[in-house]
Amino acid sequence: MKRDVYRYPIVTRLAHWLWVLAFLVLVSSGLQIFNAAPYLDASDKSNPARRVLSIDSPAEGVGTTTIFGRTLTTTGWLGWTSDGMGSETARGFPGWITIPAYQDLASGRRWHFFFAWLATLCWIAWLISSAIKGNLRKILLRPRDLRDLWPMQAYYLKLRKEPPAYDTYNPLQKAAYTAILFVITPLVVLTGLALSPGIDAFAQPLTAVFGGRQFARTWHFAGMIVLIAFFVVHTFQVATQGVVNQMRSMITGWYRPGAHETEGKA
Amino acid sequence: MKRRLFVAGSLTALAGCSPIGTALNNTPGFEKFLGSAGNLDHALIGTRGMAREYKESDIDPVFRVNGLATPTTAMYRHIVADKYASYRLIVDGAVERRGAFTLGHLQHLMQRTQITRHDCVEGWSVIGKWTGVPLGDLLDIVKPKPEARYVVFYCMDSDDQGTPYYESLDLHEARHPQTLLALQLNGKPIDPDHGAPVRLRIPTQLGYKSAKWVRRIEVVASMGTIYGGGGGYWEDQGYDWYAGI
Repeated sequence: MKRDVYRYPIVTRLAHWLWVLAFLVLVSSGLQIFNAAPYLDASDKSNPARRVLSIDSPAEGVGTTTIFGRTLTTTGWLGWTSDGMGSETARGFPGWITIPAYQDLASGRRWHFFFAWLATLCWIAWLISSAIKGNLRKILLRPRDLRDLWPMQAYYLKLRKEPPAYDTYNPLQKAAYTAILFVITPLVVLTGLALSPGIDAFAQPLTAVFGGRQFARTWHFAGMIVLIAFFVVHTFQVATQGVVNQMRSMITGWYRPGAHETEGKA
Repeated sequence: MKRRLFVAGSLTALAGCSPIGTALNNTPGFEKFLGSAGNLDHALIGTRGMAREYKESDIDPVFRVNGLATPTTAMYRHIVADKYASYRLIVDGAVERRGAFTLGHLQHLMQRTQITRHDCVEGWSVIGKWTGVPLGDLLDIVKPKPEARYVVFYCMDSDDQGTPYYESLDLHEARHPQTLLALQLNGKPIDPDHGAPVRLRIPTQLGYKSAKWVRRIEVVASMGTIYGGGGGYWEDQGYDWYAGI
């Protein structure tokens, strides 16, 4: 029996759970905001000729989604969906996934900006605290981890009996956490800021670098899709790699190495 | 088993987000709490720098019309019919010299032309060329008194319930060089749908700040007693007063 190790300091645990909350609220309130103009353009200003996504209701009771020029019927899910008040209407994303459930752009924006601050301040606090404690090097993917990426994947695919040697996090975990925490999340924050006319006024290159305001809105949406994909895979991993040990360690900080091999088999 | 419970729990958390959020949203005071982040936005972002200015070739042939409908009141029909000859822009409140400007008078003040992007709170944007009087120049004529803090714009349009449109800026935003009392759109006098004869254009903030059909400008020390007290028609319905974000 291996000894429990103290893996997650209090700041990491707090940041983790506040991020879970903020993520759920930011997605739901973000979809509420998206619904006010349910289309995305790859240009500075709105331009139907450069539309990459459009959710419409061409007729009463019909919802369609056009993505890269291909139109799909999505009645009940996108375009013609629940209005959040027990009925159906022409609407981008359905009421059961937006905050508030009914159409209310003003409230959606308040939720979104409040939790955007919360998530960003959490990120800064976590970054500073981890840097001081020297924990960042455990999580950051380094060049020498690259050669272990495939062997680790092969182990997960059962093509290999033993995983390559690693310390706290395996190379695939490092790659995922590095990408999410240091690439995708900052990009989502920056593309969000680039949408604001007040920020565009003093940081014009920021908006320009993303291809303009509407393009930044498109990248912001794409970043959300990547974060959702991470959320789904991450949740699946936790569920399959010793869920009790994983959950307990993110609450108390104490992790039991190798617990997932025995958990559920007793 | 634990695995399935966990996945079920995660899905419940996801599905619970919208109803819990909606219930909280309808709890008195909670929106105000969330809205407190708006003060942070105003303090940190504020109004600095200059909105991007574009080339002639970037101008959209059709400038999208949005917001409340073009006024249909007898007063508005009358001023359109007499080609704005009877129009007066009243500027009063906490100022040294009150003014009533005719359209001709405004046209003879120094004009500024800018091709800027109009960013709607809904998420879309459109580019147009605006010509008009920098609001700061007009304020220099009427000279705000020391107690002056805000500039309130009273408009000629109103909603189905008869609630009139109005907007406001603080003096810093009002004096920004790109804050215009626009008289022309794309080289022609503004048409009724786009706010004729005089509208506000402030490209450093979202579109709802750029009030159309302005009839009176009042310089005030506080906005608490004006209509809903929020400083604007949409602000009284929950939108942020600071619309730079």
